Amino acid sequence: MIDNDRIIEELEEKLMTLSGDSKSQNVGIVMKNTDGIIIASGLSRALMGEKILFEDGNIGMVLNLDEDSASIMLLGEASGVKEGDSLKTSGQMLGIDVSEDLLGRVVDPLGNPLDDKAKIKKGKNMPLEKIAAGVVEREPVNFPLKTGIKAIDSMIPIGRGQRELIIGDRQTGKTSIAIDTIINQKSNIKPIICVYVAIGQKRSTIAQVIDRLALEGALSYSIIICASASDPASLQYLAPYAGMAIAEYFLQKGKDVLVVFDDLTKHAWAYRQISLVLRRPAGREAYPGDVFYLHSRLLERSVKLNKENGNGSITALPIIETQANDISAYIPTNVISITDGQIYLQTDLFNAGIRPAINVGQSVSRVGGAAQTSAIKSVSGKLRLDLAQYNSLAAFAQFGSELDPETQKQLDRGRRLTEILKQPQFAPLTESLEILSIYCTSSGLMDDIPLESFQKFEKEMHDFVKRSYPNILDDLSNGEKPTEHALKQIQKAVIEFKKRFVL
Amino acid sequence: MNKKKIDKLVLASYENVFLNKKKVNRIAVLLNKSDFKKYINALKLQEKKKNVFISAPMNDPNLNKFKEFFPNKRIVFKKDPSLMLGVKIVDNDIVYEFTLKNFIDKISTYIKQNYD
Repeated sequence: MIDNDRIIEELEEKLMTLSGDSKSQNVGIVMKNTDGIIIASGLSRALMGEKILFEDGNIGMVLNLDEDSASIMLLGEASGVKEGDSLKTSGQMLGIDVSEDLLGRVVDPLGNPLDDKAKIKKGKNMPLEKIAAGVVEREPVNFPLKTGIKAIDSMIPIGRGQRELIIGDRQTGKTSIAIDTIINQKSNIKPIICVYVAIGQKRSTIAQVIDRLALEGALSYSIIICASASDPASLQYLAPYAGMAIAEYFLQKGKDVLVVFDDLTKHAWAYRQISLVLRRPAGREAYPGDVFYLHSRLLERSVKLNKENGNGSITALPIIETQANDISAYIPTNVISITDGQIYLQTDLFNAGIRPAINVGQSVSRVGGAAQTSAIKSVSGKLRLDLAQYNSLAAFAQFGSELDPETQKQLDRGRRLTEILKQPQFAPLTESLEILSIYCTSSGLMDDIPLESFQKFEKEMHDFVKRSYPNILDDLSNGEKPTEHALKQIQKAVIEFKKRFVL
Repeated sequence: MNKKKIDKLVLASYENVFLNKKKVNRIAVLLNKSDFKKYINALKLQEKKKNVFISAPMNDPNLNKFKEFFPNKRIVFKKDPSLMLGVKIVDNDIVYEFTLKNFIDKISTYIKQNYD
């Protein structure tokens, strides 16, 4: 009933724009064009964030309102706008047209397709800027979002509606974690819509991501928003908001959405550029004063709605690139404080062959634990502690002094745990296989396997269990804590497999 | 020269609603090139604020009715056959458009946006 009323209201609005009644227009004249920032006279009735229409068909967005001029961010080719050109207000806030047609497509932050596929049909106009859902509409994070990566799902679990930061230097595997997570959503019973927002990246890198998603069959439930390094700063600034607006469209339909912002460092750079051209006062590292609000208002839109509001969710995976592992720089500290935890990737670990190169000590998930299933919680409870003990003992062991058997055993276990948490790229695992691997290592079932053959053993064991003991995986995938019977079955299967395994 | 000073010069250039040519020329000589440009732009803006332009496809005495809506402004009538029918009023940065041309433009834009 409410929907019908809304539809009729929308039709009436359309009728108003078509009727012969006059509507007053607020016009202005371009006074200055500085790198895509237009200073215009007139526009006395313009609103902050309002869409502005230029006479050459370009559009812009109001960013500053002064006494007798307005500053407009141009969303298109800057060279076409000259002094003296006329422009007018549109009476609308900047938005993006969203419909189911966007699935599997690559679009720019204004919704224009960038691939060679069919024209995207006009859908619902979603505002780019929107106040986040209030506390009454929300509920705590309580359902897991599986990444398919053992180290993350066991120790840094992510819940639907959470904001988990992926942070690290260049070439440490930040995008890979996000892509793996998107690929892993293929196995979900309740499908998750994935939105990948590429900000300020090379077009070749974006093309690789698109190819990989297509190859893994993940493009059908994904939308890619592309604002590459060669696009104007204005589009790079708008891209994450466009991603969130698309996510909110699906959220309103009660769906779960995952949004990846790759990366927010470049987003902050784009905003810094715009702010400096706008002559806003520069602060630390030349960023404007509202750079915290820039990211907080974006990530605050991540939400887990309660049942009365459709029970949908938006999970955000923002990415931040650090310089020389400095997580105390301005933007990293800001985003760390906004998000509900971070996955910290380190170059040293990456170079040592530990991939994903997650620093377990500095990575944390503040709310994801509540969303973890009892099954994985039961096997991974001690994992973080064991690894922490191993890391501190390993530092001592480097001195080469003789160690007592107990310490030696702890070190050995630590090495095996580190080994089992290694995982190749684009090979996410189901929860039952993750539990199987972690349980076999932490319970000592794989203590007699040499470290060099660990990965091979794990892979072949998975195949063996899938083939010969599928009931074990069924038991482990129900989310309940594994029963004594199930654990005995695992032991039996592993012992049987060891007899066949050739080193 | 800052904007406030330029604005003062602009106000000083007027006598009632009309520009005083003598004053304007005297000011123009005293300004450097950059300030001179600012002064001209400010004069243009001021002119826009003081004038209301009423355009119609033909001269019609009924248009005089609009004068009473803008008591403190100078009304400038313009003949513009391209409007086809109706009237267009430009008051500084606000444009009221009651023309057939505008209506046809709106319909064509709507059709373009909504139909493949």
